Amino acid sequence: MAKEECKALLDALNKATACYHHLVLTIGGSADSQNLREELQKTRQKAQELAVAIRARLTPPLRDRGLGAEERAEFERLWVAFSGCLELLEADMRRALALGTEFPLHAPRRPLVRTGVEGGASGVAARALSARSLRHEAERDFDVEDLHQLEREILKVGEMIQDMEMKVNVPRWTVQARQTAGAELLSSASAGVSSVGGVSVQQRTGPCDLSKALAATIFSAVLLAAVALAVCVAKLS
Amino acid sequence: MAAGPAPLGGHPRAQRPHLSKMERVVVSMQDPDQGVKMRSQRLLVTVIPHAVTGNDVVEWLIQKYCIAEDEALHLGTLLVQHGYLYPLRDPRRLLLRPDETPYRFQTPYFWMSTLWPAAELDYAIYLAKKNIRKQGALVDHEKVGYHHPSPATPAESSQRNPSPTSGAHSPGSRLIQMHKHTHPIEGVSEGRWGVHPPELGVGKSFPLETLNHPQAHYDQLHRKINHTWDLVVMQAREQLRAAKQRRKGDRLVIACQEQTYWLVNRPPPGVPSVLEQGPERGSCTARQVQMTKTVDFYKREIECCRKALGRTRVKSSVCLEAYLKFSSQRGPHDPLLSGCLPSNPWVTDNDTYWAMNAPSVAVPTKLRVEQWAFSFRELLEDPVGRAHFMDFLQTEFSAENLSFWEACEELRHGGQAQVPALVDAVYQQFLAPGAARWVNIDSRTMERTLEGLGRPHRHVLDDAQLHIYMLMKKDSYPRFLKSDLYKDLLAEAVVPLEMKRRVFPFMWKPRHSSPSLALLPTSTSGEPEAAAGSPGDGDGET
Repeated sequence: MAKEECKALLDALNKATACYHHLVLTIGGSADSQNLREELQKTRQKAQELAVAIRARLTPPLRDRGLGAEERAEFERLWVAFSGCLELLEADMRRALALGTEFPLHAPRRPLVRTGVEGGASGVAARALSARSLRHEAERDFDVEDLHQLEREILKVGEMIQDMEMKVNVPRWTVQARQTAGAELLSSASAGVSSVGGVSVQQRTGPCDLSKALAATIFSAVLLAAVALAVCVAKLS
Repeated sequence: MAAGPAPLGGHPRAQRPHLSKMERVVVSMQDPDQGVKMRSQRLLVTVIPHAVTGNDVVEWLIQKYCIAEDEALHLGTLLVQHGYLYPLRDPRRLLLRPDETPYRFQTPYFWMSTLWPAAELDYAIYLAKKNIRKQGALVDHEKVGYHHPSPATPAESSQRNPSPTSGAHSPGSRLIQMHKHTHPIEGVSEGRWGVHPPELGVGKSFPLETLNHPQAHYDQLHRKINHTWDLVVMQAREQLRAAKQRRKGDRLVIACQEQTYWLVNRPPPGVPSVLEQGPERGSCTARQVQMTKTVDFYKREIECCRKALGRTRVKSSVCLEAYLKFSSQRGPHDPLLSGCLPSNPWVTDNDTYWAMNAPSVAVPTKLRVEQWAFSFRELLEDPVGRAHFMDFLQTEFSAENLSFWEACEELRHGGQAQVPALVDAVYQQFLAPGAARWVNIDSRTMERTLEGLGRPHRHVLDDAQLHIYMLMKKDSYPRFLKSDLYKDLLAEAVVPLEMKRRVFPFMWKPRHSSPSLALLPTSTSGEPEAAAGSPGDGDGET
């Protein structure tokens, strides 16, 4: 069914855009490297492929006048999400270009900002490409040519957006989103639990104290049990 | 971001210069040899590098720019307030402390120049992420009376809530347990959080200050960009999942960075925003970076430079001198700086001051007459001055100049329907050869004017008017200032006496006039100080 396909592709595009955003965050920082630029390129190329595919699939139903109202509403929803995603991607690409030019990798007089982020982001890129892992095979001056190519791609994406606006007329404000406020909490079983403890460490000492308190109670309980056993043993023997 | 694609090929606007200066400072701090000393931050298990102490930053600034400590502290605070540096321990207090508090540099993505203005969609995604991370803790601080069912499942929420310290907390969790529901993800249109604003917003059931501000923002955003809420939720989830692929230390740092960015761009209520700028400055979109310099690019550059060459520039020394001269000349005339005689009507309810300075008054005050000597424009703008100038011109037999000028002003500011008739009248009276009051205009201007009279509009006599104006200014005006008429006016001009201070113990309003600096002995305006009691005397009658 076309709708399911579209939905799946849109999810993949969403994933790629989020990963791209995450990678662009670190340009110019201490984690910036040749590998990062390569991952950026691969991610955005994948995102663009997906975008082209979705567009090819979504445009015909929306231009089809004979579609039922509910179907159409569904497709419009997908369209709005798609165009929003594409705009996010384009904005991130522009910023990547700006940052990439400002922080060239091999310029001696322009050090990278030491932001405290280290470690590679290959996991992120691999996730975007739905691959298991990523191989890095770039040559030395990869980043400079990459920037030229990035500029071309930005223009292409811009044209695509313009084209989309011209061809399909979907007034955004009439679309009712499916998700309500707070909907992200509902299926957050996978996302929420494990990462909460880690992320909120630096802010409050509450969680730290909680885990510490927990550890302390367990330890003291074990100690008490051991002492009780020892006393019993001493008494009985 | 979601504001739509920036126009391609649009002229790139210059970003705010103070930002690029700050960025240069930050980048020079990164120098491995001469930059700021970096330390490591040690959390429970993880070690995160690249932390700097406030002390180091201040010292580096002092040493690099040879400035005093106060200035270095101020500069450092500016850096922190604009989000280029963020404190690690107390992220909401954006100021630089010159002690051992640790700070870290913000990633260039979140610098103000790259990512400004902050888009609503991004903020919505950020709040959604925060919501997921804190499991609905955005609404923690809401007071109990309000039934707002949280969609979080009870098990998770009770696990995530820190030990119930505040009373408001446990009723909250009780509420959560009451509403044990497992909804399908979609299809709940009447939505718990969707329908609220009139009741929620300015709560009748609870005071506003307990409402945590991100929650209020969240609801507002949900209303504003409702159509893209699907995207918001999807992106929020995916971004969190993408972040999980990183090491824990990196995740922490990135979360801190984003939080700082939003603290700067959406400050909590009560915190002044550094982003406020005057109305005349336009918004700066992210700089359009162009790698390939096309022909269009160079054409635009050439045009820009040409325009820049054509602009008139005044040297700042000249400007400043003019400004100083203006200030020193006008100082004694300013009612706020030098006090107004007899008294400030706003203070003493005595409006003699206004009566004496009315536009048409028989005897002008001395200050007013002196002001006519400042410039010709002053003289013409004052009706009394203009009348006296007209008298003077009549003695010199050149009054038609001023009449012509006045007629032109009337044409310029008058009604559109009267324009042709007025032009005609002016021509008949002043410009026609052999007219009754013929004005002396040079031939070129006269030719141009006569041409234009064929198609009259309100600016057709502008050239002639300017010519006559300059003539009067260069010729008649200096003579006027030296004339006896003017000197007589100066002598006759009235100097109002300052109203005496009356210390009358039984009066309601202590009527003291505003302190008039003009009456101090050091004043230069030469007002007679004898008649007025000096402000220091409280003795009432002299």
